[in-house]
Amino acid sequence: MDSVVLQAVTKIFRHSPALFNWMGRERGGETRALDQISVAASSAQILVLLGPNGSGKTTILKLISTMLIPDEGHVMVGGADTQTDPQQVRRQVGFAVSGERSFFPRLSARENLDFYAALDDVRLPERRRRIELMLQQTGLLDAADTLVMKFSSGMYQRLGIARALIKQPSVILLDEPTRSLDPASATHFWNLVRSLSDGGTTVILATHSLIEAAAVGDFAAVLRQGRLAGYRKIAATDPEELRSFYFHTTGEVDERSLLTAGSWR
Amino acid sequence: MASLLDKMLAILRRDLLTAIRYRSGFVISVAGAAAELAAFYYLARAIGPSFRPEGMDYFPFVLLGMGFYTFLIMGINAFLMIVQEAQQTGTLEVMVTTSTPAAMLIFLSALSAFGRNTIQLIFFIGAGLLLSPAPLLNPNITGCALICFLSLLVAFALGILAAALQLAIQKGAALVWLLGSGVWFLTGTLFPVAALPRPLRLISGLIPITYSLDGIRMALLQGASLALLQREIFVLSMFSVILLPLSLLIFSRILRRARLLGTLSFY
Repeated sequence: MDSVVLQAVTKIFRHSPALFNWMGRERGGETRALDQISVAASSAQILVLLGPNGSGKTTILKLISTMLIPDEGHVMVGGADTQTDPQQVRRQVGFAVSGERSFFPRLSARENLDFYAALDDVRLPERRRRIELMLQQTGLLDAADTLVMKFSSGMYQRLGIARALIKQPSVILLDEPTRSLDPASATHFWNLVRSLSDGGTTVILATHSLIEAAAVGDFAAVLRQGRLAGYRKIAATDPEELRSFYFHTTGEVDERSLLTAGSWR
Repeated sequence: MASLLDKMLAILRRDLLTAIRYRSGFVISVAGAAAELAAFYYLARAIGPSFRPEGMDYFPFVLLGMGFYTFLIMGINAFLMIVQEAQQTGTLEVMVTTSTPAAMLIFLSALSAFGRNTIQLIFFIGAGLLLSPAPLLNPNITGCALICFLSLLVAFALGILAAALQLAIQKGAALVWLLGSGVWFLTGTLFPVAALPRPLRLISGLIPITYSLDGIRMALLQGASLALLQREIFVLSMFSVILLPLSLLIFSRILRRARLLGTLSFY
């Protein structure tokens, strides 16, 4: 059974310029971030979202997490509609948001996790056990009592992953999860993602890394200007094959081939 | 219920730890309150004992007025600040995807802020009364508690509206400051409403804080019975019955609109 379903989803962002805008160049209008997207992921599956900047990957994750509401279509998680039953959806979904903002800077990593876990109905003493486990799994145990305002980008990224996992969601959303991680941490993280999937969790991962996609993904959905440009199975696929599929689907120029052909000389 | 208490404690803990770690902010707020107290004490001395608004000594009159007014306005503003800070730190988007409904989150966070303000209010009024030449005679504690409770309900409703305003226009603080400045002089904080011209007195009668200040002064300074406090209790009850559900409805509509427009994290 499909765990996450997007049915003909359209998302439009409307821009209204400032009231007194004669000094600026801001203009009104709208951006069609997603256009009639239909895609699904079943339990224990890792769906990778690929696509250039602004293609709609993060918008899909935000729609599934209930941060956003679609203008058209439906987003369903475990049979619950994100518009009519958002609380049911939120109980099932963990979202590792990209970027450093979203933590309380004057709380430690442990205190931040404790706060969010309480909001997600993880009760004591189970909460303490899970916090220790997550800190260990994300390699943050030594920095557990450090105020997060002193964290590096990579540490924020790991803490975001820990926060998403702490409620043991059946669906986990990851937005460029290894962007700031060193290679060893990234590999460790991929193993963690695979073990989550083996345990039955649905994983939806947005990334620009084709190596990451090939390493962990079961299926890839390639987005281009808010539309689904391609979809394929990628389990055990050679990264090079995935690369050529990506560039063929998006229509972008693979400048690496230009470099090897000597066009830049 | 246990889950709600757990969340309440988590929010209190977060706010307490953050406040402790902003040591300078705590010291500045204590110094500010002390300076305000001194200013009103010397203002009352300069005016002299012959000025007795509504038959009360001026110093306790202004002390209670300013103390309770500040308590309510800071409480209303706390709702707005909670949303504003969450927008600026990027925590709002994440918090609204947790299992706790957004309205409950803001309500619990505001309770924490009201708790802090209550401690400040007790210290402010307590210290002021120690300086006061006329101690409280026969105060009506039950009436005072009832007025406080109803005023809190109204403040919660106005706070939820302020939070909705912040979500909607991202510059709610400016509008609340503007309204707060008007309310300050219309509600009889520093002088009795009777001193205002008739049109302004009519506007004053539409502001719930006017009844809060009247009620608290009558209960504490004049020992007015519940029968004498009937008008204040009735008006504040009406305001809370109308404003609380209305504010929750407006907040949920504006939150939904922000999720539709993708403006949750805008500030």
